[in-house]
Amino acid sequence: MIAVVAILANVISVLTTWAHEKVTWPMRAARTVRLTLEQVRTGKRSVRDLAKTVAGTGGAIAVLVVLMFPIYWIFTASLSEGAGLMSTEGVFADPSTYNLDAYRWVLFESSFTDALLNSLIVVFVTVSVSMSVVIPGAYALSRHEFRGRKKILYGYVLFTQVGAGLSIATLIALYVLFVNFGLSNNLLVLGLFYAAGAIPFNTWLLKTFMDNIPVSYEEAAVIDGAGRWEVIREVILPLSKPGIAVVLVFTFLAGWNEFIVARTLLSPENYTLSVELYALATAGQYDTPWTQFSAFAILFAMPVALIYFFAQSYVESGLSFGGMEG
Amino acid sequence: MSTSLLDRVSAESQRLLPFDTRNLNLFGLLLVAPGAVLFLSFMLFPIAFLVYLSMTDATHAGTVIGGDTNFVGFDNYVDLFTDSQFWTSFGITWLFLAVSLVIKIVVGLGLAMLLTHARVVGKRYMRAIVIIPMGLPAIFIITVWRGMFSGARFGPFNELLATYNSAVTTLAGVVDQALFFVAVSVPEFLLVDMPVSWLSGRWSAFMAYVTTEVWLAYPFMVIIIVSALQDVPMELHDAAKVDGAGYLHRFVHVTLPAVKRPVMFASILTAATSFQQFLIPWIFNSGGPSRQNELLIVYGYREAIELNQYAYASAIMVTAIAFVGLFMWLAVRKGNLAEGVDSA
Repeated sequence: MIAVVAILANVISVLTTWAHEKVTWPMRAARTVRLTLEQVRTGKRSVRDLAKTVAGTGGAIAVLVVLMFPIYWIFTASLSEGAGLMSTEGVFADPSTYNLDAYRWVLFESSFTDALLNSLIVVFVTVSVSMSVVIPGAYALSRHEFRGRKKILYGYVLFTQVGAGLSIATLIALYVLFVNFGLSNNLLVLGLFYAAGAIPFNTWLLKTFMDNIPVSYEEAAVIDGAGRWEVIREVILPLSKPGIAVVLVFTFLAGWNEFIVARTLLSPENYTLSVELYALATAGQYDTPWTQFSAFAILFAMPVALIYFFAQSYVESGLSFGGMEG
Repeated sequence: MSTSLLDRVSAESQRLLPFDTRNLNLFGLLLVAPGAVLFLSFMLFPIAFLVYLSMTDATHAGTVIGGDTNFVGFDNYVDLFTDSQFWTSFGITWLFLAVSLVIKIVVGLGLAMLLTHARVVGKRYMRAIVIIPMGLPAIFIITVWRGMFSGARFGPFNELLATYNSAVTTLAGVVDQALFFVAVSVPEFLLVDMPVSWLSGRWSAFMAYVTTEVWLAYPFMVIIIVSALQDVPMELHDAAKVDGAGYLHRFVHVTLPAVKRPVMFASILTAATSFQQFLIPWIFNSGGPSRQNELLIVYGYREAIELNQYAYASAIMVTAIAFVGLFMWLAVRKGNLAEGVDSA
């Protein structure tokens, strides 16, 4: 858990050095290569030793290339010409025919923008509802002792780590109720559903973050005459800002990524992006519009991928938070 | 007088209450209540409702609320456990879990060892790349893999097979040229019959599920094993080397003990997720062909939403939930989830 805080603190410095690092890496790589060659020439390092390192690195790169094949394929597919992917020989499209037609189609002719609006409505509800219960909940679990506190924590941790797929089991029960109360095709209800599902993980995450804010800050504020609400407003909330930002990201993803509940509850005019993506992928068994599908998929996944890319250390700590590292 | 009466009443009621109200921090409880209530109303209440439904004869959504259902006790469970479709689904779920878990551990361990190896340069960047699947929405990954396994002639895997076929044919041609005195043709068993409909065969679809599940979940394994491996002091390896331990020996006696516990823990968690896998079979071919690959949750979902067998589906879901409960118990007993809570 200490690792979580350490990483959160690091993020600012990581972000500032990030750009510099990304820009200068070819130069650094070149310097390393030059130094190594120098060492080999002067006999400080044997050729055999160097060959082993080159082989090891080359092997690792080869493994990564194979592993990331689907990513590369979907990118080239989105750039290929018309249904070109399905009519040319070879796995990848001919680079000379690359174009952005599919992206134009997705943005201006497909249902992407309507679905985006639906997704944003759902995400807005999810984020605002879950934030408004997660922050007080995390504060109470971190700073107050009350009956049932441990039970709630246990329940949250267990659900987060083990029972995440249960939402589909409960979906069939809720579906009946929603249909009968006429709530099934309702973006706000869907957002609420996601918010409820996002509570355990995010409450736990924010609680562990708040646990690391020293109590002495609050004591100092109390000595200065601050009341209970002032302590929360002036001490706890400002110091938890990074943790709250992480929770914001995760609740956003909860609403953005989910598919099956949306697909079950919504009618076509209210489809969110994930459901539209599925519709495109399963349009026909043999005539899936691959280029259009790829472009749609990339535009759908891009915000998520960017968030993860920038907050990678958060994600690592967040997903292995069940006591794996401290 | 009145105050003392109040005091006495208060003291009396205090005594009757099962707990000491002075410990009851109402403020804290009030703050945590909205979240807990919201979560429970979308989780615990539906589960209770499922248990009730599973003991009725409800069929479609209308009968569930309309009130024209009868209480039938455990009839649905009896039907379920004598239904061969259930045992097909149950068996394939565990097989899916077991096969994908073994592959995940092997792949995770292999990658983690590669990405902590002293001979590999640029490990940090490689680790960032290797966990990319974690940063993508599940629906994106699964639809993309569905495309990879497309049964069309120009689907990526069929293209790879075509490449393989032509390579074999070319090779045979070369051999034929070289051995000019005999006519060499390609042996039939070396060529693949094209195109392969990956998702139409039971076991090829199953392997497609496993491949995708592994791709979804290996980053979690890699992260956990890498952090365990980094905690192994380099001196331990060096000492083993000095003692003349070979690579295999060092792997068994230095690496494995270090990662055993984290791998065990990660295995429980990822196995629980595999057990509840829904999206992969559903998006690939709806648990087909002919319902042979319906994982448990897919089976329950289809019975309810598509076949209008609500009571029956509820019995399936309750069974699945019971097994998830088992995983939770395992995670508490074998993992260190409980320590995390108790120390908090």
